[in-house]
Amino acid sequence: MNEISSLNNLATREGKKATRGEKWLSRVMLFLEDCVKVPVFRCQHCGECILSHTGFVCSQRCPKRLRNGPCGGTGEGGTCEVYPERLCIWYMIYRRANRLHRLPLLNRIEKIHNWNLEKTSAWLNVFRKRIEPPIFFIKKGDRE
Amino acid sequence: MILSEKIEAGRFVVTAELGPPQSCNDGAIRKKAAHFRNGIDGINITDNQTAIVRLSSIAAAKILIEEDLEPVIQVTCRDRNRIALQSDLLGAAALGIRNVLCLSGDHQKFGNHPEAKGVFDLDSVQLIAMTKQMTQGFFLCGESMKTPPEFLIGGAANPFADPLEFRILRLAKKIRAGARFIQTQPVFDLDRFGEWLNLVREQNLHEQTAILAGVMPVKSAKALHYMKEEVPGIRINPEYIRRMENADEPKEEGVRIAVEIIQALRTIEGIKGIHIMPLMWESITPRIMEESGLVTKS
Repeated sequence: MNEISSLNNLATREGKKATRGEKWLSRVMLFLEDCVKVPVFRCQHCGECILSHTGFVCSQRCPKRLRNGPCGGTGEGGTCEVYPERLCIWYMIYRRANRLHRLPLLNRIEKIHNWNLEKTSAWLNVFRKRIEPPIFFIKKGDRE
Repeated sequence: MILSEKIEAGRFVVTAELGPPQSCNDGAIRKKAAHFRNGIDGINITDNQTAIVRLSSIAAAKILIEEDLEPVIQVTCRDRNRIALQSDLLGAAALGIRNVLCLSGDHQKFGNHPEAKGVFDLDSVQLIAMTKQMTQGFFLCGESMKTPPEFLIGGAANPFADPLEFRILRLAKKIRAGARFIQTQPVFDLDRFGEWLNLVREQNLHEQTAILAGVMPVKSAKALHYMKEEVPGIRINPEYIRRMENADEPKEEGVRIAVEIIQALRTIEGIKGIHIMPLMWESITPRIMEESGLVTKS
């Protein structure tokens, strides 16, 4: 489990500087990524994707962009406090994670966002080891 | 004895909430704080609650220290990024503030400057973790500091918002991040609160942190209706609304309800204290404290 035991765990830090070649690659990767993630997940381009932890619902659609769970304002029936006509993103995440048996992943304390990764390709960031790779399979024993 | 020692010793504590004025009138703070002298272990100073501009919580806390009271500052992620948050926490520690309640913060849309940019660089769980890291002598970036601040770190929990199971999960996260006390939203629905607390006890979370249950005395049925309609994530037992509507003296009934709720909460296992939120009605606090038996009559 991702725990705040060592200092490096609390925030994503600056990794290697992007080279010129990588910037081009990043644009291509971002285009490909957008083709999938924008229509399917309504990706917000945070560049530090945690979709796999949040039941494949993008947490960054939350008006407060919370990464660690809902604020105290979720109304009855799971409405968002800022836009009452919408459902709380974290309410949706909980439902979906429950259905997919991925609730244990919600226990992770997500890192503080590195804003320099904003609008960069998360896939490339995984290859360049700037962020953790997605978790697709969880062990049987961890399932609830 | 300071608040952190009382919580460490497992004593039943009482905290109260004080909203700073929408002006630079320090007299108003001293006047409100005078109601919190007897039996209150810590006074929460709100940080621009509901996104309305008010006197800074750290400045108000300093005024309370001058008055020999113990403040708990609320820190929200709405208005400050990680640089400003750390800087303000250091400043607060230097002024003698020992208690911090870390919150995400109300969305700016609800306040008097709805056009503002909401920062939300961190969320409340991350803020708790960052503050904890600072007390261990490190900035967020990993650099060490010479004199680390000493803070009793707290967080908030809302037992009344959906989905209930997620609330427990998030509470557990806050505790793991370093929250040593938890203040809840005001309790107006004891059944739902009991349900939440059962789940808390199942996971033994009440042993790992001090849970202070929120209690809000209300003046009128209108106030309850407002809470029900306008404040998201609050549940109110219809029985209380009915009682307030039918009361000849709604204020007296409001006090009776608050006292009843406090007395019920005190008997529940897992509750380590009460957090009183007398919204614009600070003067009633001493009476509620006496009638509910939190202090003995002087």
